[in-house]
Amino acid sequence: MKYLSVEYKQSEPSPERALDPAGIHAEKSRLFRGIREIAQTLWGDAFGRAGICILLLFLIVAIVSPHIGPDDSWQHHYTPENQLARLEPASGRHWFGTTYYGQDVFTQTVRGTRVAFAVGVITAVLIVIIGTNIGLIAGYFGGRVDDFLMRITDIAYAIPFLPFMIVVVSLVGPRLETIILSMSLLFWRTEARVVRSQVLSLRERPYILAARASGAGHLRLLYIHLLPNVLPIAFLYLVFGVAWAVLTEASLSFIGLGDPNQVSWGLMLFHAFNSGSMRDAWWWVAPPGLALMIFLLACYFMGRAYEERINPRLQQSS
Amino acid sequence: MRRYVLRRTVQIIFVLWALITIMFFLFRLVPGDPVAMIISAELTESAREALREDWGLNRPLGQQYFLYVKNLLIGDFGLSFYHQEPVWEVLGEKVVNTLALMIPATVIGIVLGVLGGMYLGWWRGSRLERIGVMLPPLIRAMPVFWLGVLLLMVFSYKFGLFPNGGMRSIGTFPKGWADTFFSTDFLWHLTLPLVCTVITSVPEPMLIMRSSILETRGEEYIELLQAKGVREHVVLKHAARNSMLPVVTWVFHMFGYAIAGTVLVEVVFAWPGLGRELITAVNNHDYPVSQAAFFLISVIILGLNFMNDMVYGLLDPRVVLNE
Repeated sequence: MKYLSVEYKQSEPSPERALDPAGIHAEKSRLFRGIREIAQTLWGDAFGRAGICILLLFLIVAIVSPHIGPDDSWQHHYTPENQLARLEPASGRHWFGTTYYGQDVFTQTVRGTRVAFAVGVITAVLIVIIGTNIGLIAGYFGGRVDDFLMRITDIAYAIPFLPFMIVVVSLVGPRLETIILSMSLLFWRTEARVVRSQVLSLRERPYILAARASGAGHLRLLYIHLLPNVLPIAFLYLVFGVAWAVLTEASLSFIGLGDPNQVSWGLMLFHAFNSGSMRDAWWWVAPPGLALMIFLLACYFMGRAYEERINPRLQQSS
Repeated sequence: MRRYVLRRTVQIIFVLWALITIMFFLFRLVPGDPVAMIISAELTESAREALREDWGLNRPLGQQYFLYVKNLLIGDFGLSFYHQEPVWEVLGEKVVNTLALMIPATVIGIVLGVLGGMYLGWWRGSRLERIGVMLPPLIRAMPVFWLGVLLLMVFSYKFGLFPNGGMRSIGTFPKGWADTFFSTDFLWHLTLPLVCTVITSVPEPMLIMRSSILETRGEEYIELLQAKGVREHVVLKHAARNSMLPVVTWVFHMFGYAIAGTVLVEVVFAWPGLGRELITAVNNHDYPVSQAAFFLISVIILGLNFMNDMVYGLLDPRVVLNE
């Protein structure tokens, strides 16, 4: 709540504002201030900092890995005796050992980072764009618009997520783009509800009433006055969205409905499970699973750090 | 209250209608002609004709839609391509198997979660609490299927304590219902998938109970009890009972999550349930079965959410008044 009251104070007329009748600069800096404050909050919390560091590490791996060597994650390796290097335990040649098909587990794990980031970030951005807009519009206009959008949200809530993804992917085909798009088709639901209830309380505040009285249009009220105030929530769902999307993509891949041409952690586990190698090849099962877990944990840490900030009840109780 | 019930009923009917409509169009996304989707090429000509008539596939789209809604509502899902039997024959026992795993697992998960949350909330600041609060995010970050694979690796392959999947040993043919679900063989097979589901269903009730009891702890009547010198476990009993409401209002949602997430556990442990059948059907292009499995999962969850609303309304009159 502290954050919101800070915002409220800023929106009172300032000398800066008088010189800039359009208020564009003031509002822009407000948006940037919001973003900066998010970063500060995260960095100020031990969990948040840990989350940022872990994700940055993953990001560096994702960006740098293709430039280090040729992509040989699909390549079948052979032993010096010219036999397929099947299920070899970790060694100097294969840091994490090899798979049943003689592929290098380390390379595949490193490659999996790219899919995780692509899926997580793109889906999360889509979710946040859809969810924030639906929440803003429903809360701001109210009445019939609100009713209509909230009924759509009800429907999105009623559809069981993983079964829906399974059916859609099986009908449309297991491509990464399809998976990302169909995930964003449903996942916006939680954020839309939360943003809407936030807007419902915001739109009666004096600064919004003042802006309306001075002739601000709908678009201006929505995106320049209301949006910066729901930014913290949007950010929270961005972080959770990344985690949900990565987990869902991994689950689909594990079932065998992921994109078979992209090395992902879920796909690695799918092959480990279905070749029956998990009986002894723990080195094939552990790296992708651990990578997934650490990635998700980093997201939850950031979410946690942020949740305490915007939810005063949590702050007081923990 | 009556208005509340009515409103919720109308809402659930609307959502059900929307769901069926989405499914109608979704299952027509399939490449090729919709006739091929519902009618297998391997059927005899007369059987095909009967099915075509049943689903109205030689009629205009509007009537097809009407028949589709009717067929789903009366539970007529058609014939399975793969099994060559009515879908109900295939799915009926799978639903029971899924419930036989999910209901006990969720119940145990909730009980453990509530006890854990109670502990964490009451003895706040203790060393055990500091480790305990790390548990929910850790469990949440652990993909269910990976947890399942780890359990299999350790308890089935390494130590050979439990079977590596399935619901009963090969070669056993249980007679009747009691023999299927109350034999030691069944319980032996149930253990690992049950443990896996229990672990994943603990964090939610744990967190809810923890924050709820933290709130109750500051109430005056609790302080009064403490001031009177009532022994701590008695005070805790009072506090816990009054902190249960948020958990109770979440119980049905938890069952819903468990049903929706059942797919992964069933795949890992080869549990012959609804979720695994959905995957099998999807892989066999057995559209009538995958469609019915998806519909059943959705309807079960819708029903649970409805019950949740009702219980919520009964327990917390403010909800009803706010409508």
